[in-house]
Amino acid sequence: MIEIHLYGKLRRFARDQDPTSISVVHAPVREGDTIRAVLERLGVPMEEVGSNVFLNWQYSALTRKVKDGDRLAVFPDDMQLLYKWYFPKVGRDVEDDRG
Amino acid sequence: MSKILRVNMTDLKATYEDVPEKYKPMGGRWLTSAITCDEVPPTCHPLGPNNKVVFAPGIVTGTAAPTSSRVSVGGKSPLTGTIKETNAGTGWSQSVARLGIKAIVVEGQPKEKGKFWLLHITKDGARFIPADEYVGKGLYEVYPKLFDRFGKKADIMGIGVAGEYQMAMAGVCFNDHEGKRPSRYAGRGGIGAVLGSKGLKFIVVDSTGLPAAIPIADEALFDQGRKKLTEALRTHAVTKPQGALNTYGTAVLINIMNEAGGLPTRNFSSGTFEGAAKIAGEAIFEGNKQRLGKELYNHACSPGCIIQCSNTWYKPDGSEHVSCQEYESVWAFGANCGIDSLDVTGELIRLCNDYGLDTIEAGGTIAVAMEAGLARFGDGQKAIELMHEIGKGTPLGRILGNGAAVTGKVFGVVRVPGVKGQNMPAYEPRAVKGIGVTYATTTMGADHTAGYTIAPEILSVGGKLDALAVEGKAKVSRDLQAATAFVDSTGHCLFIAFAILDIAEGFEGMVEECNGVLGTNWSGEDVNKIGLDILRMERKFNEAAGFTKVHDRVPEFMKYEPLPPHNTVYDVPDEVLDSVWEF
Repeated sequence: MIEIHLYGKLRRFARDQDPTSISVVHAPVREGDTIRAVLERLGVPMEEVGSNVFLNWQYSALTRKVKDGDRLAVFPDDMQLLYKWYFPKVGRDVEDDRG
Repeated sequence: MSKILRVNMTDLKATYEDVPEKYKPMGGRWLTSAITCDEVPPTCHPLGPNNKVVFAPGIVTGTAAPTSSRVSVGGKSPLTGTIKETNAGTGWSQSVARLGIKAIVVEGQPKEKGKFWLLHITKDGARFIPADEYVGKGLYEVYPKLFDRFGKKADIMGIGVAGEYQMAMAGVCFNDHEGKRPSRYAGRGGIGAVLGSKGLKFIVVDSTGLPAAIPIADEALFDQGRKKLTEALRTHAVTKPQGALNTYGTAVLINIMNEAGGLPTRNFSSGTFEGAAKIAGEAIFEGNKQRLGKELYNHACSPGCIIQCSNTWYKPDGSEHVSCQEYESVWAFGANCGIDSLDVTGELIRLCNDYGLDTIEAGGTIAVAMEAGLARFGDGQKAIELMHEIGKGTPLGRILGNGAAVTGKVFGVVRVPGVKGQNMPAYEPRAVKGIGVTYATTTMGADHTAGYTIAPEILSVGGKLDALAVEGKAKVSRDLQAATAFVDSTGHCLFIAFAILDIAEGFEGMVEECNGVLGTNWSGEDVNKIGLDILRMERKFNEAAGFTKVHDRVPEFMKYEPLPPHNTVYDVPDEVLDSVWEF
């Protein structure tokens, strides 16, 4: 299982949607899964996903592989405010390279 | 013709002088740093007669350029002992520009100790008025009285009791646009104390009767630039109406930095805070919605801002509590003090506005005081009591009011997260190593705004940098510091960086605006060159003041205390830090 923390309008995919608390979804992980694959299976529209995606506290590209026990956090496109040039992105994603 | 207004506090004279040729293209930080370097002896005591305070609107301030009402305030800092530039967004800056004033230079010291003055500047000139009746009072009480006296079209610069006490965390307070509140601070570095040492309590400006815009050399070019930048700001997800900044404010970063493991918590002992969601931008938006019964979007801190990221926090009964709960302030009193209540952070921010304090240094100091055992982490009530000690100027308050480094020294705390005596803002260097390079090497002491702006690949001809390489960080930091120095000279808010980073036309627009106003012919490369010139000049001042590369270091504890959740130490080699200045 992977633990997914959702923020902003993406909280709607979690049971607890209180914006002053945490909205968490636990999802199964399949062999070879990327962050994108897990989110797509959850039904999250990818156009709503911003560049602020963190896998195990690391600023990450959507192509990054996930594994059992990982912690993922996803912010929507209207919530991105990271000073990204200070954050080396782990993994490369051509489509997503500039966030 | 614009002028420099020289304000001599020794003999209470205000004199208009011609602008020397070399200052003519300058504005904002470029000008405050140039005048400080030319006129202030680097070894002077910051609170003595030889220090000066310089105010300068930006190059395009006082035009229709979007989000361009910043004013830079410079001099030698009593907090760091370095040169200082600190800036704020306020209509005060536009009024000064419209009054044809390129810079205000405050110098000298009154013969009579404890006497305070107000300088009133209108189209008819500048005059001194005794300000004793406003001394010792909170700014929330005083600003409305000043607006009653000088009219609603006036704008105010002032210092609070912290400045009167000459505390090293005293900020320079400007009124905001919407509510004329004492809430927009050029906070960092204790310049409020320097004004206190000069007996200058307020500068009230009113540009009534003057043209709405400053002279522009090439109207067509300026307009072209203004439109490009406006378009970029209106379309970018971060800066557009109801975008991240307008909806959630800068505090949207609380949750983001928490998920990055870089939200400094309990005096920089962890990178995540379990109460983050309760004090984040979403919680502010939701809290106001519940208390007001409607959605509230943010407002402009200053006239002409189209990003509009400034918020107001409301009490449970729907009455106003404070403006504004922005990222750095909420973090400083929230995560950094282990406090997870927006009502408590709101009250602590309100006290900073009232007493005239920099929220970042104040929050950092309360956190160090908690580390020292003066209060438990998370004890909001005790934090409020400690802030009142500062406001009253008690012996304990005087210690706290001089910042985190002094407080740490007095109480024997080793974990003091500062550089050159200035407490770090809300990004943990052990998690975000590049920003640690900027904290360590900037001319200003630990300062996030010293280096977060335009992407190096836009500015440099050398192509993309690999941000993963440790060696690359020095160049990233240097280029960001140079670009920031330029943006801080234009009068634009640094938040335009989000849009001009991603949208090339926006960057071009900013340069064309400057060329339009000044009649210059700067290119993108010139922007980098000017930025580096500003840094060199500031660095020279600091060297003459006794600073060496040994001062360009993060505090030692960060090198041996691993920070959860990444469990990393600060391991950027000293040689990399030193190479920032090899250009």
